[in-house]
Amino acid sequence: MIEKLLERGGDLVESADVCVIGSGAGGAVAAAELAVGGRSVVLLEQGHYWTRADFTQREDEMLPRLFEEAGMRQTADGAYTILQGRNVGGSTVHNLCYAFRAPEPILRIWREEHGLSELTAEALAPSFQRVEKNLRVKQILESELNALNRIIRTGAQRLGYSGFVARHNREGCIGAGYCILGCSYDAKQSMLITYVPRASAAGARIYANARAERIEAEGGRVRRVLGSVVDHDGRPRGSLEVKAKVVVLAAGAVASPDLLLRSELANGSGQVGKNLHLHPSVMLVGFMEEPVHAYRGIPQSYYIDQFIDLEKDPHRGYILMPITGFPVLTGANLPGFGRAHFAHMAKFSRMVGLLALLHDRSAGSVESGRSLAKPRIAYRMEEGDRGQLSESLVHIAKVLFAGGAKSVLAPYWRDPLELGPGEDLSVLEQRGVQEGEIGLASTHPQSTCRMGADSRASVVNAWGESHEVPGLFLADMSVFPTSLGAPPQLTTAALADRTASHILARWPEFAA
Amino acid sequence: MDPLATDFPRTTRRGFLRLAAASASLGALAELRALPAAATSAVGETSGRFFDTTETEILTQIAERMVDSGQAAAPRLRATGAIATIDRTCRQLDPALTSLLPTALRLFEYGPFLFDWTFRRFTQLSDAEKDASLTGWMTSRFELRRLAFWALRNLSILGYYSQEESWPLIGYAGPLVRSPRPAT
Repeated sequence: MIEKLLERGGDLVESADVCVIGSGAGGAVAAAELAVGGRSVVLLEQGHYWTRADFTQREDEMLPRLFEEAGMRQTADGAYTILQGRNVGGSTVHNLCYAFRAPEPILRIWREEHGLSELTAEALAPSFQRVEKNLRVKQILESELNALNRIIRTGAQRLGYSGFVARHNREGCIGAGYCILGCSYDAKQSMLITYVPRASAAGARIYANARAERIEAEGGRVRRVLGSVVDHDGRPRGSLEVKAKVVVLAAGAVASPDLLLRSELANGSGQVGKNLHLHPSVMLVGFMEEPVHAYRGIPQSYYIDQFIDLEKDPHRGYILMPITGFPVLTGANLPGFGRAHFAHMAKFSRMVGLLALLHDRSAGSVESGRSLAKPRIAYRMEEGDRGQLSESLVHIAKVLFAGGAKSVLAPYWRDPLELGPGEDLSVLEQRGVQEGEIGLASTHPQSTCRMGADSRASVVNAWGESHEVPGLFLADMSVFPTSLGAPPQLTTAALADRTASHILARWPEFAA
Repeated sequence: MDPLATDFPRTTRRGFLRLAAASASLGALAELRALPAAATSAVGETSGRFFDTTETEILTQIAERMVDSGQAAAPRLRATGAIATIDRTCRQLDPALTSLLPTALRLFEYGPFLFDWTFRRFTQLSDAEKDASLTGWMTSRFELRRLAFWALRNLSILGYYSQEESWPLIGYAGPLVRSPRPAT
């Protein structure tokens, strides 16, 4: 049962064994596995329940439907745009389907530096296998590479850069290319069409437009979730109360710490909302000789890992990924106005984008803001990270030129730089990446309620359970002890699967 | 009838000072920099207009310069639903984000006088003069002016490039599914 509270009207009063907050890569998995395991489950999602019929492939309609703050979520200084889902299925509805397991060197850091000795590749393998099966993860075929990804691969291969075609969670993809606006064909195996229906079929009661605003504990145990029925703009339309023996918080690395801080729970370590990593990204645009219509086909499938060697150094590196956009978002990311702006827009069909995504050490923070809808997010790159991202600009440009670009644009807001083949690319590293000077984005905020063995330095243990509040679990990217250094969808889902198994195994203890 | 000729308040030094002072609040517009990611939604549609007639005319003349392509084949912004799309977007956004937009528009209108000592309003300038005025906002050493510029630029991009008529100009083939558009 998936119910749109906005259409039903009135308040919500519920009780269940488990209340799951958030329906993305973590929450949907936890809800489904707990329901399949026999627990009564209520799943709360503050966003709306949109389905393929609502996915119109138009930017002006889909971005407000699928993104937090209508796509306007930013760090407090406006330097980083943070894209997070706000709908049933969470960010898995708009993501681009890269499916990676947690890199072993990162797991080693988690074991050795954070005391999470249980988190071995072997121990996590059953969870990864279940998740991969349910999300139908498979290798992208050669025939599925679109023009953009072929160009980027050609560039990388000519330079001798290491790269590969990745695995995705797609089934029957027709290559329309509108993945980021929601899949109109139900080919993307997002939580919306996999784990959410699985949870529903197992008896979970799933409520859209249901915003959790406070988690209450009593006698040291979690007891209930309070909140509001909200409309599409977040305005309260009713109240909600869910009594539960266990609460699984999976609202994402921004909303989860915000909710804990508002609830004044689980923060004896002072680490709630700290250690924010963003996987910050920066992009350059290449202009090809002929139209390539880079927005058609699977947007991201090739993956350049030349500049990240986690075995050698698990704390640094960056990945290069193809990227494309549609007219409005593309226009917003190009500099200037009027005819100078149009000079770039006129080449829209010939544009190819390549971004660098940084495995960052910089640590930002999330604090509760003035309103529930707007937590305060602070982040500034430390110099080591800035140096890497600045260096990445040179390599991005090299790949674009080697792939056949006739010019490359670095879209600095005030003084854009367009370079031709053979020009000195070191100017890119010299200009570098400064907040406010060039567009920076994040689609992977993480680590704000990190896992660890030491309750003085972390928020949850290796099973995702609060060190302080029995029965309170976290199951989203906020639990990553460090930056993951890879696309996080599968790792989030696998850790949530593991957390759900743990809750089921210990259920008699929670039921008591 | 030219609405600007009738609806604008009488120009006084005090009025300008009030407008200039209001610009100190333009920091809230910083968030509008990302506005193209925030557009219209048929759900939650509200009635009425966000901008009044005067503001709409200023916005239109700003947007015309922001997306000017110089191409004879380009659809005229006024002939598209661009301004209606912007208006609808503003109606549906958090008022904390949009409440200063009308003030910002009037600052742009009086910008030539306030910043360039030209005794004409923005809407009375030639296209080249309008571009020069906008460039002044874009390159200003005052962050608030620049933020206001980017907010209005991105609104203009949102309005214009979400219109199907603009897509042939840039070689965008458009969505593969068809859906009814929200009323403007």
